[in-house]
Amino acid sequence: MSLAETSSRARMRRRIDADRLLTLACIGLALLGLILFFAYPMVIVFLRSITVGENYGLGNYTEVLGSSGFWRATRHSLAMGGATTALSVFLGFIIAHGLYRCAFRGKWLIRSIIVLPLLAPSLVQALGLIFLLGRNGVISRALGVEIEIYGFWGLLIANTLYALPQAVMIIGAALVLLDARTYEAAEVMGAPPWRQFRDLTLPAARFGILNAAFVCFTITITDFGNAAVIGGDYSVLATEIYSQVVGQRNFNMGAVVGIMLLLPTVISYSIERQAMKRQQAGQITGQEPYRPSFAPLRDISMAALSLLICAGIVSVIGIVVYASFVTLWPYNMALSPKHYDITLAGGYSSLWITIVISLAAAAGGTVAVFLLGLGLRRLPKAVAQPIQILAAMPAAVPGMVLGLAYILTFNSTATPLYLLYGTAALIAIVNFYHYHTQGFLTLMTGFRQLPLALEEAANSLGAGLGRTARDIVAPFIAPMLVSVFFFLFMRSMVTLSAVVFLTTPDLSVAAVTIMRLDDAGLTSQAAAFSTCVMGVVCLAVLSMKVTLALLRRRAGNKGST
Amino acid sequence: MKTWTQTTALSIAALCLAAPSLADELTVYTALEEEEIAAYVEAAQAAMPDTEINVLRLSTGKLGARLLAEAENPQADVIWGWAVSAMMDPQILEMLEPYEAAGSDVLPEKFRSGDGKWFAPIGYMGAFCVNTARLEEKGLPMPSSWADLEAPEFKDEILMPDPNSSGTGYLHVNAVLQSMGEEAGWAQLEAVDPNMAQYTSSGSKPCKSARVGEYTVGISLAFTAMQSIEEGYPLAMVFPEGGVGYELEASGLMASSDNKDAAKAFLDWTMSDEAIGLYQAYKALITVPGVDASEAAEKAGLPADISTILADVDFIKAAEDQTAVKDQWKEKFGR
Repeated sequence: MSLAETSSRARMRRRIDADRLLTLACIGLALLGLILFFAYPMVIVFLRSITVGENYGLGNYTEVLGSSGFWRATRHSLAMGGATTALSVFLGFIIAHGLYRCAFRGKWLIRSIIVLPLLAPSLVQALGLIFLLGRNGVISRALGVEIEIYGFWGLLIANTLYALPQAVMIIGAALVLLDARTYEAAEVMGAPPWRQFRDLTLPAARFGILNAAFVCFTITITDFGNAAVIGGDYSVLATEIYSQVVGQRNFNMGAVVGIMLLLPTVISYSIERQAMKRQQAGQITGQEPYRPSFAPLRDISMAALSLLICAGIVSVIGIVVYASFVTLWPYNMALSPKHYDITLAGGYSSLWITIVISLAAAAGGTVAVFLLGLGLRRLPKAVAQPIQILAAMPAAVPGMVLGLAYILTFNSTATPLYLLYGTAALIAIVNFYHYHTQGFLTLMTGFRQLPLALEEAANSLGAGLGRTARDIVAPFIAPMLVSVFFFLFMRSMVTLSAVVFLTTPDLSVAAVTIMRLDDAGLTSQAAAFSTCVMGVVCLAVLSMKVTLALLRRRAGNKGST
Repeated sequence: MKTWTQTTALSIAALCLAAPSLADELTVYTALEEEEIAAYVEAAQAAMPDTEINVLRLSTGKLGARLLAEAENPQADVIWGWAVSAMMDPQILEMLEPYEAAGSDVLPEKFRSGDGKWFAPIGYMGAFCVNTARLEEKGLPMPSSWADLEAPEFKDEILMPDPNSSGTGYLHVNAVLQSMGEEAGWAQLEAVDPNMAQYTSSGSKPCKSARVGEYTVGISLAFTAMQSIEEGYPLAMVFPEGGVGYELEASGLMASSDNKDAAKAFLDWTMSDEAIGLYQAYKALITVPGVDASEAAEKAGLPADISTILADVDFIKAAEDQTAVKDQWKEKFGR
């Protein structure tokens, strides 16, 4: 008996050691990636920001801080960030609440429409808004008055369209896993629906709401594309960077603004962490999925609101798809397929490699954030905290800054990382790290709902970390893994700002082809190409979803027999 | 998990295939327009069958950012057809090696650098893009000069690129300042400022906005205007009286090139008779003496003698004044 006991204890110890090793490997791999492909390039940007002539100094910072343009742009950026965040989180909550807490039909429709802005190239959104709401847009002409969309309001709409799907994804991660039994208990105790909402749903969604707010704010203050096309004269920090770097070839000053953009992000993230401290993490027991029953007042209004928002999204994107078939928008509305005959800028050749790159970014990225989230749960707070901040930071870096930082970092023969320069792998990597924040925070929101007890039980039953991860954690947060995968896939297909600096003569991606067509004045062809990209992404996502559903059914059959 | 592993493995295999080959190739960075690039490269490739010519096309501003970011380990062998005011940035000139391309000595001194670092046989012009449909609808007179744009009925009907973000913006500002003189030039810009609906960050955007009827006048590029007219937009291309700004498209040899023979051969080709013949089909502005741009110019509705519409631009001075002018512009008109 004693022999058996010692051997079992030894086995236990071995397992714990193995677990510790595995945790370290999880964290180590993910952290190594973050350091090599995010922190290190950003350190190089920081060094550029303090380079004055041949020396280091703070001269660039004092110069930037002393210019009135910078402060105006800062004010604008903060106001825009705040407004977009409020609007996107509010609307995002409505949609996520409708999807996961209400009972009505046609959710698949809302679910598929809400992600459209993610897979629309930025040109599509800009064109769509102008064709629709511009001074010579469809609505202006129908009403007979010229709407002045360029400026604060246009920019607010454009930024909200882009931020909304991300808000829904993160808030949804908090709402989808709420335990049904708590609601049943509340029901039994006679709590009216509004109290259930206030006391159960809202507190549980708080982490998701804060994370979503953080993401919306950050991506808004770093976005250049919308500001350039629809912001009019409303200068923001991202346009300041563009003007310094692209307009005046003044790298170091651009780097200063890039570094300054990290500040509000770090501050808001710390505030968020503080706010979360007061809330207990995780749920105590296992869960029953919530199946909402039909409540006419709540569900009809929620469905109507969600459908209204979706109608807005569809019309913005739909009008561009339609315009790509129009001979000469808005002067000759006869339909014609001629814009699809694309021969310049490499034609359709970039489409296929972009799919491969995007799949790689999505697959690698999903695994990386999963490992990171898994490892972080097992680390002491003091160590986990700084890693979390680092993992949440990439969204604070404008794509252009990240792209140029990649050139500065990976085009140096000083390190073997040079081997990556000019390869498709580096484009996949930049795409993933550019969107690291969103993937990471979605998974963290999901992880938060995972009952610690579940993992502990698995542990005490003798499952090591590897098995727990595979059999308990992964299935539990599978919905988030899937949405992170599709998010990374869709963004990688169309993101431009970082990638434009990393393409080579032999290697171009779809977003760059769209930009080149538009640069050549062939806006309708650019819209046609964008339509093809969106079509291909839809097909790809659809076929992956079908595959997933088949796999799930097969797994289910196996489980039941 | 298994599918992930498979996908990842497949993707990695695909990514390795897509890595650039390191053969003896020529890498050319350019900001010329897509259509002409296709024609020139086809001809150049036929003339240099042993070299594979790889071309990266970016807009003037982005190309500059890329070149500077790569400065530590430049990837390009040749810069081809890039705005000379960008080329004259000391940070860029430092990367170039003097090379007198065969045939470039025929160019007037104004169109090549004294130390042989760049030469510019071609160029492009600015223009006003006027949407005739909107002009009529609003009952506005066709503008023919900068002064015409001062009229209060043009309020919020004009777009112009911001010189701090766009080379085209500086092209126009510089032309106004140099052709009217500092004082009168600034006064002119101040007079039209209240009518400007936006200062855009892209040089072609004003024309693209004007052609779809969002605004009446886009102060932009002749290339975009011609291309839009050809597509059928109700657009008129106007060159302001007193001279329109223009820009040279310069080429030069990168000092870091490890394939200088091919690079020089390519630069020689850009001054060959064959190349000049092609310029006549695509370019309205050719600086090679005795070569008229009649073919392309006529197609675009330009006068046979193009020099009559160009402002008298001193490119050296324009490059030198650049920072000061942009700062002053930002001070006066920054929004």
